[in-house]
Amino acid sequence: MAKNAAEWAARPKFPASHYVDARIYSDPTIFEEEKEKLFKRCWIIACHESEIPNAYDYRLFSHPAGMPLIVVRGDDMKVRTFYNICPHRGNAILYDPAGNAKRMTCIFHQWSFDTRGACVDITRAEQGYQDRFGKQDAGLREVRTEVGFGGFVWVNVDDAGPTLKEFIGPALDMLEPYMQEPMEVFHFHKAVVNTNFKLWHDTNSEFYHDFLHYFNRITGMMQPGYFDRKYVGYPNGHASVGSMEIKYDAYEGSKQRAVGWPGLAPGGWILIDIFPGMTYNLRTSVLRMDTVVPLGPDTLIIEFRGLGLKSDTAEQRRQRVFDHNVIWGPFGRNLHEDLLGVHGQGIALRSGTDARWILQGRQENSTIHDEVGMRHYYAEWSQRMGRPAYDPFHEGKPARAVA
Amino acid sequence: MTTSEQRHAIEELVYRSCLALDAKDWKGFLELCDPGFRYAITAFSPEIRKDMTWLDHDKDGFATLLGNLPKHNSDHSPITRHATVYTVDVDALGGEAKVISALQVFRTALDGGATELFAVGHLHDTVKLASGGPKLGARTVRLDTRLLGFGYHVPF
Repeated sequence: MAKNAAEWAARPKFPASHYVDARIYSDPTIFEEEKEKLFKRCWIIACHESEIPNAYDYRLFSHPAGMPLIVVRGDDMKVRTFYNICPHRGNAILYDPAGNAKRMTCIFHQWSFDTRGACVDITRAEQGYQDRFGKQDAGLREVRTEVGFGGFVWVNVDDAGPTLKEFIGPALDMLEPYMQEPMEVFHFHKAVVNTNFKLWHDTNSEFYHDFLHYFNRITGMMQPGYFDRKYVGYPNGHASVGSMEIKYDAYEGSKQRAVGWPGLAPGGWILIDIFPGMTYNLRTSVLRMDTVVPLGPDTLIIEFRGLGLKSDTAEQRRQRVFDHNVIWGPFGRNLHEDLLGVHGQGIALRSGTDARWILQGRQENSTIHDEVGMRHYYAEWSQRMGRPAYDPFHEGKPARAVA
Repeated sequence: MTTSEQRHAIEELVYRSCLALDAKDWKGFLELCDPGFRYAITAFSPEIRKDMTWLDHDKDGFATLLGNLPKHNSDHSPITRHATVYTVDVDALGGEAKVISALQVFRTALDGGATELFAVGHLHDTVKLASGGPKLGARTVRLDTRLLGFGYHVPF
């Protein structure tokens, strides 16, 4: 039966933990708070160590909280991160997204910095500053940086707060055995979508949407073991989904994966979501990494990486690339469908549409179509934001108490 | 040396291939291809400083990919390919030509019909020259554009 306006506006008949207010996906105030309370407080993946293999290699990264960053491997091979902001007149110091720079020199006035963040040259310093200001006063702002959990470069713009290990906790334990060999990025692309960043993470946090994917229906949902996969929630809002055996040859034009992944059962699949917007997705022969970089409440960049093993032969790498492209490449079967899904949500949930509630009420003993992954995320979101996701503006009481 | 008739036939092959793909006439496109046809999409990533392959299929694999399209959820906005043949280099034996064309792909929204530039790049075609007329032996779409929004299921 269709609903009238009052019925449409009424809170869902679920516990308050089982739905969220749709405005959390479009409100600009909430978005600004998210940058402060989530992205500035959490460890974020900036790149992978294989993108900067040599001394002086650098990689630029736009931090989700807004800061432009330089990730650079120093002469001592240590990876450090700095704001890509010249302390003189605020120019971006480096422009190309990646490169090799023994000295990082601002093009504007030729102030120069080493890979440890120290200013090593100020042009005509004595004439202009006499003894009032010097190189020692002009260091770059350094950002906490750690390399780990599969060789990813993690950054945290908060000088205080937990270590990376404390932040991750046990969330990646399931994946650690499969990340012992050095990995290498072979694929990178970005997608800009007019949607909210949480909607992409939601998609990565629920498998009920396998109905969207013909490929997943035929190779996964219709195969034994699919409904045995379980969600596990971890501290800090992270969540994992256990493995099953994907029947790749059930899809015409696909076949059982020949290369595989060390230690992972053939056709295996492990997915781990890291709060507030990163996803490890190990599917048989490829590790995919998603990183969200929101540009606003309704605009999002997603960075997609595909990784193989550094030890790959040419043939193994070719096969991994093929496997990746079939479903996850820019022309892959699943990625376009997932992006279309959140694009559509972006249309329906934008400010002013009168979208009211997003349901997360499926309970199936935490198995694959249970929506507990999203509920776990929004419990953490609510706690960090100081706003219940079901009532972010403190306007009313839920129909039922929080479960 | 390329004769003007050869060049004309090769150019027409490239243009007909674009028209067939624009029209989603997969059968018509595949009829323009040699049995050994191979299709790839590649791009260079300045971010990871590597060449990337985004799609790579033989003729059967490409045909299967196209045939599976109706089973998937896809953006239905039509795309229009605009190619300009730049160079045609026929090998010494006259059996094969390397053809480089500029490619622009436009996407037209179903709602309202606004057209936007979707992608630019080049077609690197290998054309088999036989008595029955030229056939596409291989096509590599070398993309400059790497930001494709929510993407597309149909190869360029």
